[in-house]
Amino acid sequence: MSTKPFNPFAVAQAQFDLVADQLELDEPTRHLLRDPIREHTFAIPVRMDEGSTKIFRGFRVLHNNARGPGKGGIRFHPAGSLELVRALAMWMTWKCALVDIPLGGAAGGVAVDPHNLSSHEQERLCRGWVRALAAELGPNVDVPEPDLMTNPQHMLWMLDEFEAIHLARIPGSITGKPVNLGGSLGRREATGYGVVFCVREALKELGLRPEKALASVQGFGAVGQAATRMFGQIGGRVVCVASWNQADQVAYSFRKEAGVDAEELASISDSFGGIDKERASRLGYEVLPQDAWLEQDVDVLIPAALENQITAENAGKIPPRVRIIAEGAEGPTAPEAERTIGGRGVVVVPHLLANAGGVICSYFEQVQSNMNYYWELDEVLGKLDVKITAAYVAVSDLASARKLPLRNAAHVIAISRVADACRARGWV
Amino acid sequence: MAKAALESRVKRTAGSAIKRFDREAPRGGGSFTYIGGGEFGGKAEGLATIQKTITDSIGSGKIGETTVAIPSLVVITTEFFDAFMERNRLWETVALDLPDDRVAHAFQKADLPAELVGDLRALAHGVRVPLALRSSSLLEDALQCPFAGVYMTKMTPNNQLDADERFRKLAEGIKLVWASTFLAQARAYRRSVGRNDRDEKMAVIAQEVAGRRYGSRFYPNVSGVARSYNYYPAGHARPEDGVALLALGLGKTVVDGEPSWTYSPAYPKAPPPFNSIGDLLKHTQAEFWAVNMGRVPYDPIKETEHLVRVGVSEAEEDDTLRFVASTYDTNSNRIAAGTTVRGPRVINFAPLLQYGQVPLNDLILALLSACEGALGGPVEIEFAVVFDPRNGVPADCGFLQVRPLIVGNERVNVDESEMERADTFVACRRALGNGTVDDLQDVVYVKPGEYNRLSTAAIAAEVASFNDRLVAAGCAYLLLGPGRWGTTDPSGGVPVKWGQVSGARVMVEASSPEHPGELSQGSHFFHNLTNLRVLYFSVSEGEGEKIDWEWLGRQAAVDETRFLRHVRLGAPLLIKVDGGSGRGVIAHHD
Repeated sequence: MSTKPFNPFAVAQAQFDLVADQLELDEPTRHLLRDPIREHTFAIPVRMDEGSTKIFRGFRVLHNNARGPGKGGIRFHPAGSLELVRALAMWMTWKCALVDIPLGGAAGGVAVDPHNLSSHEQERLCRGWVRALAAELGPNVDVPEPDLMTNPQHMLWMLDEFEAIHLARIPGSITGKPVNLGGSLGRREATGYGVVFCVREALKELGLRPEKALASVQGFGAVGQAATRMFGQIGGRVVCVASWNQADQVAYSFRKEAGVDAEELASISDSFGGIDKERASRLGYEVLPQDAWLEQDVDVLIPAALENQITAENAGKIPPRVRIIAEGAEGPTAPEAERTIGGRGVVVVPHLLANAGGVICSYFEQVQSNMNYYWELDEVLGKLDVKITAAYVAVSDLASARKLPLRNAAHVIAISRVADACRARGWV
Repeated sequence: MAKAALESRVKRTAGSAIKRFDREAPRGGGSFTYIGGGEFGGKAEGLATIQKTITDSIGSGKIGETTVAIPSLVVITTEFFDAFMERNRLWETVALDLPDDRVAHAFQKADLPAELVGDLRALAHGVRVPLALRSSSLLEDALQCPFAGVYMTKMTPNNQLDADERFRKLAEGIKLVWASTFLAQARAYRRSVGRNDRDEKMAVIAQEVAGRRYGSRFYPNVSGVARSYNYYPAGHARPEDGVALLALGLGKTVVDGEPSWTYSPAYPKAPPPFNSIGDLLKHTQAEFWAVNMGRVPYDPIKETEHLVRVGVSEAEEDDTLRFVASTYDTNSNRIAAGTTVRGPRVINFAPLLQYGQVPLNDLILALLSACEGALGGPVEIEFAVVFDPRNGVPADCGFLQVRPLIVGNERVNVDESEMERADTFVACRRALGNGTVDDLQDVVYVKPGEYNRLSTAAIAAEVASFNDRLVAAGCAYLLLGPGRWGTTDPSGGVPVKWGQVSGARVMVEASSPEHPGELSQGSHFFHNLTNLRVLYFSVSEGEGEKIDWEWLGRQAAVDETRFLRHVRLGAPLLIKVDGGSGRGVIAHHD
């Protein structure tokens, strides 16, 4: 995977500026929406297992809460930066508005590689993060959820700390919890399924049948695994999956022309989605270099790992057969790359829309937790499908009517909804 | 296989009205759509085949002022059944041989395939009329394996304000239909026709119920089954003239074998087949089925959860009797068409059949002719008609099902002398079927002294137990006993379901005076009898017909329970039914 530095917040702001011009937003509204309304950076001292203390840097950014409490992930990543978190928070604001759920946008994280921490150290880190922010979190204020390299156990430690501070059971204050402790059925697969529901609709519009479609997926965490599984369930075939190898500090692509078996690969992956390359090879997968995933002769690419993975440098390697790129990760397609592939007629389903399944299901979890009444899986996934499909149709219709790329159309819908909310509240 | 099925369907349906389900497309108007790429199953395939035929044959889609169409439906193809079974590990559950309610409950707890639920939610959002969730399995409605009445149909009123609730009822119904694939009756049936559980796959048809709402009830004015071949022609009618059975309300009345009106479409005005008005009044339809649009006790594994059976007097309040009933005038001791006078009602459809206020018989004849042409042989059809209770026309006819019929051609001669021979232990003049069976040695019969009307349910349970053992041993048998086999009325006979008697090659009923005449030809039980070529003897002892109970009682029993006796004879019986004359004999070799 690409590790070249880039400024995601600059990208997000540039996307906003373009749409703000199209919407002819007034200056105060632009000013309000272009930057987060609140940011926190803080130190988290953590006692390590061997007795020393390490200081980690944590962040939480609230971009906008005109439509509802802030919502957004907490990611653990060594390359975590405030610029990235600002971008994630802004994208989350647009995402929630686009799928029309009553939430604002937030994001946070810690600059850390959790692979290098023991389980106890991770717990202390999580609890420290919550202690630093206790006054700024809660079901009516800001509701965190998992993101890159955080998982339900992390969320549960955080919830436990929050409830201890507030002396009450408040299950709706954090989402992404384990299913048997306040989590929603369907949460784990929601993002990945949502990506494929969007792909399904895009295939329909292109007149392509899922039964004849091939796909390649970058990333084999929760999103990549679920997307791989669901793509097979709608009749398609995933022929290549790429994942990060922690030991080698490089990514590999795993290919099988007959179609990868998601369950099989999951059984040889670690908790962060890293596939064991020796075992994969023994199971008949070709082990290829990291960028091989986007060179496959497929109809659909699903980048579901990190931002800035399809760049000006590698976009030219994408074969002509590729018709759809569905962004399962946040900002995986650099603007310069998008101009190149957009010019070829490739439909880029923006992450705002494609990976909104996760936040939709988070919202469902929040609702269930607040009511202390939990839905069956059928109900969660059915509602998810209908909601994200409706959002896709709205974006596609606008794109078609105004001859815009999907990304622009998605931003137009989202930003105008947030702007309207700010005006309605009398903020601007 | 699923991809091959999809490829075939895409080719077959290209240019036709059968399309993939589209969430955005408007519902209703006779739409025929499908979800998924698997198989349609027998019932849906039959409807798909006939849809174009109806349109082509009837041209404008109308007969007179009656519109004919298949009520809008969506087929949930078999791929979702496969995914449901595999992902929820239900094959392991099925292998445990649990009681029916445990199986049904396990299916309710399982998760629908994620790739299906979005379309189902859209369906629940977009449709607000009662729906029937009908089985459409791969093995169903095949010529040699009718499976009639073996699987469940679940109806839902679909009128809940909350779309979530409508979705839940839809999901529950689909799971129940899938579960019915593995209930005891279905598994016994499959075994009896030499099929395994894994041979079967279940599609589900979600179809709008034909009907109209009357307060808390929803039902059609007329439901019916019509066959282009009549096994019991009466008077001038020939077998090829066919037979029709009509009922007020849902067609469950007919297919379950409950009292309905039977006549030959060639002679719709012929006098009723009853000896007296008293007989007519005794055997007329007294109750009808409707979808219950109100609140009901929650029971997702009960097939009739949302159905209600009420007396025909309720239909009078709904003003739906005027076209289907006549009235017994006590002053003149006559039956007068219609309901303008007070008196006991007789559901004989005289206003329609005698006076043609709605051209129902023309409709039936046209449909039978079209379907015979399409399927290339005798057929059975199911339909429902809805009309304006004020004026009658225009009416809408919902075409619900078509199945091929087996009509035996073997020439069998049973002459009168065989009826009285000493080695004939059963002789009958109204036997159903045609053919010879000469390899049965096992006889299971109800001990005449033990039979009583209060114990028929217990007798049915014992029959089922014997049936299971004999089917497992690969032994076909002759089933014999007092009362009507397969009746839904426990006081009229033994209320067995088909799966409980699936191993019987021949059935003998010792008729009682309370139940004269032939079996109801519209029932699922009848359909399975005829298509599986089970010979059925309806014996009225002492009228030139006989059952030699004494001889039977002298045979050594292999097994005996409170109500039943199983004997295995030293030599096979010779069983003959002459379909032309209706005579049947069963002879032993003692």
